[in-house]
Amino acid sequence: MTSSLDLQNLPDADVVALAQQGREVAFRELIRRYERPVFSLVYRMCRDRTTSEDLAQETFIKVLNNIDKYDPAFKFSSWLFKIANNLAIDHLRKRRVSTISIDGSPDATTASQIEATSFELASHGESALEALEAKELGGAIERAIASLRPEYRACIMLRHVEDRSYEEIAATLDLPLGTVKTYIHRARHELRKALENAR
Amino acid sequence: MINRHLLPNEIDLLVDGDVGFGVAPLRAHVRQCAECRAKVDEALVVVNALEEIPHIAPSSLFADRVMSQVQVFQPWHVAARDSVSRLVPRSLPARIAAGAIGAVAASVLGLISLWIGSRLDVLTFLSGAAVQRGREVAALVAEGIVGAAFGPAALGVFRAMGTAGLVVSTVALILAATAAVYGVRRLAVASSRRSGGP
Repeated sequence: MTSSLDLQNLPDADVVALAQQGREVAFRELIRRYERPVFSLVYRMCRDRTTSEDLAQETFIKVLNNIDKYDPAFKFSSWLFKIANNLAIDHLRKRRVSTISIDGSPDATTASQIEATSFELASHGESALEALEAKELGGAIERAIASLRPEYRACIMLRHVEDRSYEEIAATLDLPLGTVKTYIHRARHELRKALENAR
Repeated sequence: MINRHLLPNEIDLLVDGDVGFGVAPLRAHVRQCAECRAKVDEALVVVNALEEIPHIAPSSLFADRVMSQVQVFQPWHVAARDSVSRLVPRSLPARIAAGAIGAVAASVLGLISLWIGSRLDVLTFLSGAAVQRGREVAALVAEGIVGAAFGPAALGVFRAMGTAGLVVSTVALILAATAAVYGVRRLAVASSRRSGGP
């Protein structure tokens, strides 16, 4: 039998192999290793703790319930991040649809149409939860990341927070290598501008 | 030496800490060109800020909530291997002793199997005797049930019918008992409803 202490020194591929043999300690070890990176990625994409926790949970449930289908030719973490990113992007798309009326109808093409189909929120003040989340994602860099397009956000997070290579990011996000390079370059440029404005 | 300002992708190479042989002239240029050096420094400020971003922890019950919805499936061969490995002693001397005992037991069983295999006539006789004995025991049990339920007269009739008669009468008895239990239950339910019970 393998204890959780022994598992900590094993590479991902070996822990996954043990999980495929039905060892619960191996499942828990995979969660222990990646709960923070996955949650951080999703949280910085969605910026809502409850939603992010649900999405991160869904990511792990999907991956661990399909552990027997894992292809060892790819990195386990890439597979995990791919599912987390897809879930986060899907969520953002749905949220955009549900909040579109605030910014006007998607079919509106002129300024007057947009104005006619949009409305303003009664209060611009932050709720206690939003204030807490803003504090948690406090610094200027966090606010700058939040202002990026979701595609840029995922690329920049994987590159600089998860320390992934351009090739790994391309494989994780199903994007051509050139697109990943472009996204990261543009994201850095936008972040630099946002940080300059924040000063 | 490069005699022009660096392109955006060349600045990215330096920011990413690329170590390819094409990077050396870029570095040499940056050392000479203040404008390009400023661009690289600005980009590095962003990258350094990004790399200091911490991971955020989910709630402490996250792992338990995930595991409550994960189906941990153990393949049969792993379960079998685990069962066997549980029987294997931990210490080396105990393993050697267990191995020796196992080898002796396997040898003895092997020899017995060979001996029995070489005497097929004995094997046929013994298996026939065992089947006959089993049949006699089953008949005795069935006769006991029929005798207790219907009395010695009925037992005489069933004996005259032979083994097939005993089987038929036993099955009929079981069916009758089941029907009686079902009927009593229905009567109890009907009675309970009439008296306004649940």
